[in-house]
Amino acid sequence: MNEKGANIDLVFRNGLKDFEVLPPPEVWDGIRPFVKIRPRPFIFLRVAAVITVLLTVSFFTYRWSRELSTGPAGSVFAFNMEASSPVISQPDNNPQNLPTIKYNQIKNSPDVLTDVVDPTTTLPEIETIAIPEEVIYIQETKSLSITKNETLRGPFLTSLNTSQGNSIKIKEPDLQYFPENITTKPKNRWSIAALASPTYYSSFNSGSDGLSKQLMESEQPLFSYSGGVAFSYKISKRFSIQSGLYYSALGQKVEGINSFSGFKPYDNTKGVDNFKVLTINGTIHTSNPDVFLIADGSDRILTDFTNDVIDPKKASLQPINSSLNQNFSYLELPVVLRYKIVDKTIGINLIGGLSYNLLVNNLVYTTLDGNRYPIGDTKGLKPLSLSSSLGMGMEYNLSSKLSLNLEPTFRYYLNPFSVTTGSYIHPYSFGIFSGLSYKF
Amino acid sequence: MSEIKKIIKGCLAGNRRDQELLYRRHAAKLYAVCLQYSGNDDEARDILQEGFIKIFENLDHYKHEGSFEGWIRRITVNTALEKFRSRHNLYRVDDIDMIQEPDAEPDNQDYAGLEANDLLGIIRELPTKYRMVFNLYAIEGYSHKEISKMVNISEGTSKSNLSRARVILQRRVGSYTGIKKRVANE
Repeated sequence: MNEKGANIDLVFRNGLKDFEVLPPPEVWDGIRPFVKIRPRPFIFLRVAAVITVLLTVSFFTYRWSRELSTGPAGSVFAFNMEASSPVISQPDNNPQNLPTIKYNQIKNSPDVLTDVVDPTTTLPEIETIAIPEEVIYIQETKSLSITKNETLRGPFLTSLNTSQGNSIKIKEPDLQYFPENITTKPKNRWSIAALASPTYYSSFNSGSDGLSKQLMESEQPLFSYSGGVAFSYKISKRFSIQSGLYYSALGQKVEGINSFSGFKPYDNTKGVDNFKVLTINGTIHTSNPDVFLIADGSDRILTDFTNDVIDPKKASLQPINSSLNQNFSYLELPVVLRYKIVDKTIGINLIGGLSYNLLVNNLVYTTLDGNRYPIGDTKGLKPLSLSSSLGMGMEYNLSSKLSLNLEPTFRYYLNPFSVTTGSYIHPYSFGIFSGLSYKF
Repeated sequence: MSEIKKIIKGCLAGNRRDQELLYRRHAAKLYAVCLQYSGNDDEARDILQEGFIKIFENLDHYKHEGSFEGWIRRITVNTALEKFRSRHNLYRVDDIDMIQEPDAEPDNQDYAGLEANDLLGIIRELPTKYRMVFNLYAIEGYSHKEISKMVNISEGTSKSNLSRARVILQRRVGSYTGIKKRVANE
């Protein structure tokens, strides 16, 4: 039976080999024009996305660690009165034992087709494609089907071994089961994004007292930035929820505060809180025993070492700068809801949500020849604050998985950083976040 | 770049002329496959149409490493199988068993005079499951193990269906060649 079965198999296999029947014209009419919106997956873009994420994380980790290392516990400049020139002090718990280095040293530091095609054949115009004669013939002989039992025409199979002059093959090696890989895979709802932005930082004053206004007038925003990694989960076609971890550095410059160095010999209180400077974000407390501060025409400095007690010029204190810089760094845990308004190649999202901000770095410094000169820190800051954010996100799909994001975002801090001055100062920031988003 | 590569590239770029050219080149051969797997012409047309849509959608997955003709044939066969699986519930299981099994005839027949169109007509008269198993085993070259997974039957059923299909085909072919000989003698 096996041999007989094999024979009948061969009859059909060889008889139907290269058999052609011209399909009715309406079949082609029913095939819609096909447009592949996206190209093949970009392995290079995937790699680029991973690199971008790693670089972003590394960058912010580095910045964070750097800022921490240059905090009040880090190296500080100091002036040695005996040497009559500024010297650098290494961290030391005992301010009395600070080693010194010459000022000049510090100043100078700093990405077998086997289809048989006749190569001589030129592609005809679609409109003029000739229907092969063989195909027309077969269609004409279709009436010879056994069910209709009509006249017979055309070449017959003469024998088993010589049919169509082709050798018999039991199996065609390239005919393998092509299983379910045609079907589309279920979509993964998760995506990861790396975003960063320079931000403009300022504050709203909800109070009306004169001191707050005076303070705000003398405070200017410093270069601020924010960035991090966000994970988002697509709840529905249009809604998605996003969270992640961001690092943001905010800052402002307090004008009108003159700083001098070399005050340590006059300090009898071991350098703790010699000067307190009122700002809209809290009170600056000095921790550097060698610094002397004096306000330029205002009474925002609280100290026992007033101008009446010590005159910096007479005491030969070395002027450093006429402003102080306040830096606040936050680790942010946002919970953001996104609503996709436009879902095309360029998508537009409406973004809104809340963010918990954990204060991780708080530094006040001034600058001397481009170098940071630590002053102290800002007291009265709330370690945890809550901010709201509202933005409009634009998303350009580079591929089905990778997209370029641009998100102008306004952030408003719901609770003030502090209430030092009696007025409620609500900081806000505006940034245009840009980055890459990768959909899994 | 070979001609087929250019056509594929054009198809992927959304060039309708290239898509039609690809269709014109392969439609006749694939339609014959569709007729082989379907019980009627409407179904064959549907399979061809859906098959080409899948071919266009998956052109970017073709690695230019094997026969393009083999690749598009596999897609067409799989489309026919999907159609079969989706309509399988329409066929009563006992339909097949109720078919009267013909007696096996000695295979000393002369198959001369049978042309492709005759064979197609014979094969399409087979019961659906027999036709599927026979096509997959005898024409495409799949094993019973593979067929069992594709058609969702046991290997034993696959062997049994093949055996019954062969018996039916042998008898039909035999009677058909007899008719032809008589017509030729007259």
